[in-house]
Amino acid sequence: MSPGAILELERVSKHFGGLSVVEDLTFAVRRGSRTALIGPNGAGKTTVFNLISGVFPVDTGSIRMDGADITRIPSRNRIRHGIARTFQNVRLMPHLSTLENVIVGQHSRSGGWRGVLHPVNLVPRNRWREEARAALADAGLADYARASVGGLPYGVQKRVEVVRALLAKPALLLLDEPAAGLNPAETETLQLYLEKLSVDGDLTLLVVEHDMHFVGALCRDVIVLSFGRKIAEGSPDAIRRDLHVQEVYLGRPAAGPVVPPAPDISEYGLAACRA
Amino acid sequence: MFAQQIVNAVMLGSVYAMVAVALTLSIGVLNFLNFSIPGLFMIGGMMVWALAHAGVPLPLAMAGALALAAAASLVVERFTWRWMRTASPFVPLVSSMAFLLLFEHLAIAYWGSDMRVMPDAFASANWRFAGLVIGVPQLVGLVCSVGLIGALSLLLKRTRFGRALRTIAEDSETALMLGVDINRVVAVVFVVAGLFAAFAGILFALNYRQVHPFMGEAVGLKAISAMIVGGMGNIWGSIVGGLIIGLTEVFAILYFGADFVDIAVFGLLLFILFVRPAGLLPGMQTARAGI
Amino acid sequence: MSGYLQAVLVLLAINVVFAYGAYLPLAAGQLNIGLAGFAAIGAYTSAYLSNQFALHPLIAILLGAILSGLVALAVAVPVLRTRGIYLALATFALGQIIRAAILNLEFIGGAAGYPVTGFVGLPMVLGLAFAVVVIVSLLFGTRFGIAVRAVQDDERVADLMGVEVRGFQIAAFTLGAMIAGIGGGLYAHQFGYIEAQYFNVGLSITIVLYVILGGIQTTMGPLIGATVFTLLPELLRESASWRYVAFAAGVIVLMAMRPQGLLTRGQLRQLFAWRHVHGSTHDDGLAGHVA
Repeated sequence: MSPGAILELERVSKHFGGLSVVEDLTFAVRRGSRTALIGPNGAGKTTVFNLISGVFPVDTGSIRMDGADITRIPSRNRIRHGIARTFQNVRLMPHLSTLENVIVGQHSRSGGWRGVLHPVNLVPRNRWREEARAALADAGLADYARASVGGLPYGVQKRVEVVRALLAKPALLLLDEPAAGLNPAETETLQLYLEKLSVDGDLTLLVVEHDMHFVGALCRDVIVLSFGRKIAEGSPDAIRRDLHVQEVYLGRPAAGPVVPPAPDISEYGLAACRA
Repeated sequence: MFAQQIVNAVMLGSVYAMVAVALTLSIGVLNFLNFSIPGLFMIGGMMVWALAHAGVPLPLAMAGALALAAAASLVVERFTWRWMRTASPFVPLVSSMAFLLLFEHLAIAYWGSDMRVMPDAFASANWRFAGLVIGVPQLVGLVCSVGLIGALSLLLKRTRFGRALRTIAEDSETALMLGVDINRVVAVVFVVAGLFAAFAGILFALNYRQVHPFMGEAVGLKAISAMIVGGMGNIWGSIVGGLIIGLTEVFAILYFGADFVDIAVFGLLLFILFVRPAGLLPGMQTARAGI
Repeated sequence: MSGYLQAVLVLLAINVVFAYGAYLPLAAGQLNIGLAGFAAIGAYTSAYLSNQFALHPLIAILLGAILSGLVALAVAVPVLRTRGIYLALATFALGQIIRAAILNLEFIGGAAGYPVTGFVGLPMVLGLAFAVVVIVSLLFGTRFGIAVRAVQDDERVADLMGVEVRGFQIAAFTLGAMIAGIGGGLYAHQFGYIEAQYFNVGLSITIVLYVILGGIQTTMGPLIGATVFTLLPELLRESASWRYVAFAAGVIVLMAMRPQGLLTRGQLRQLFAWRHVHGSTHDDGLAGHVA
């Protein structure tokens, strides 16, 4: 494991049926960085997240997190290795209040059977509740603590999901299209919040995004996928100038090996994650 | 002796098969387990008894029982599916369970909970063949069951209606877009399932001559075993399953005694659910079996 | 206190205990329609212990509940590997098998039923019921409650947040079975006589229905459901069967109009007049699913 990397994927492949969704993928995420994972629809980005968080097992290759090989570790234990995530379509628990939703995020830190019996909802002022409340306040969401999540504005829901993931005190936060569906004001609020998180905490961000302005403003490192393969990586500027990337996004022909087309299978990851 | 048991098993199996077909049709097309179907089985059986007991000639009694079952099916359809489709997916299941209770206790309220005996309309008409005794009503029942199930299978494969059904089973939204009149088709599914279940109840009443308000629970629910074992969502699977459950029951009685029947039949169900929930014949994908 | 009022209170207490037996698995997203089987284990075990060893009924009841829990734990692992409707059917098969097994055990009466000499007076019945309500409410105020409800709402995400989904499902299933066992034990020590035929699918379905009626979003829901189920028919003063008819019809209508049940979290909030917050506190209906 290279010294500066917190997450390393090495020659990872995944296929569903006959369809290759991720192909021989190798990349590293620098510790403390804000890295973006971009690519057109069907590039396999959400599948990569699903592989990192353990929703699917890899077919070949390995995933290393903070030095440890987590390739075979089941999904429920990956969070204990420091990996937390949000979802492309917000998945908050509809019957829990906002505060309870983020308290779920604390579960992996709550400690065994005695932790399970902690009277979180019985004792008005206890450390878990206070911690959850403080995290919501940090995100500017203090007022929403008691509310049921169904009535929350979409932008608020997305931030609640981030807070929930944060309460696991992860080392690596996977954000799946955090800015999707947000208006410019909300997007900026989110960007500032995420910047603050990565600067203040010991937190690495890996962000899947389509909004290139957001990516450019937030991230220093970018990895580009196309049809399940990595085709470029570097700074946002370097990526913008890369001819292969331009071809993939804009259809302008470029010199070099042609990647064979594959149908849009981004729905696979989505459906499986919903399953 | 052994062959006679096989004959008995086949006869019993045909009853289970009919109810299993009703269940499998509902779950295949509508994607929910319709618990009211054992109740409709009971309605068929008890109604034919009640009418025959009141002096109505048998053919009319059967028709009356079937008519009542069809009407009841439509009521069930309104309250489990048509008006509830948009609500949570487990509402139809819960409502169908409530209908089972409703039918059961209506029967008890009207007729009491005692077992009733059908008047013997066929005067023990038996057909003797190669040393086997085959009751005429049993044989007629078997032929009717297989015939009806075969007809249903043909309907599903060959007719436009059958195609509409299968489209709805695949994806009800696509079906809507393709112009399928879902409401009408679904109503027909409920009625057909109800008629199959009630007919099985009538068969049971004619062959075994005992009916009681709990026969839905005692007999009808065993068809769930048949449905699962044969393959949920597959019509021919229901026949195979019915046969297997019939055989299981008959041989359980033979070797272990009548009290062991439930253990054998439901033990088999549990075993299949653990080991191969998809059942023997391919039916719906197990992933779709949400509720 | 009149004998009639006493009888109603006893019935209420037992129904409340049964209700929490069904509520535990429902809160984790599981439908246990074999609940009556676990109630039967509690009933027969406690009856046997108090009959044969002259144990104080309360001790016998608790031991019966423990045995119920152990049986549940033993089957929980394979049963909970099934999903959705398959899980419900596995619990159904289990309930039938338990009942049939009891019918075969002559030393506890078999089909003839089993007399019970011990008796638990009204104060103890009410006390035990009250204890169950309090303990479950407290339990759901802990992280256990949040984890279990998270599992019900979204298993996949709960798992990714580190919640041990399988563990909580097993715990909920086992606790529910134990509580049902307490209910069975109370029942046995009230009426002096128990028979396996009572602990049938109809009983399981009835209990599940009145819990869903009360609403499964809050820990008070089962109490409400059991109370409505027990008291409302008393006001009608009809025969037992018509009460069930009214109850079943009521559930059907309720599922059509208000599938989330009588008591929801939104209403509970309003009831206790918590601080109204910036976001609305309306309840969001029953969007979750029973798996």
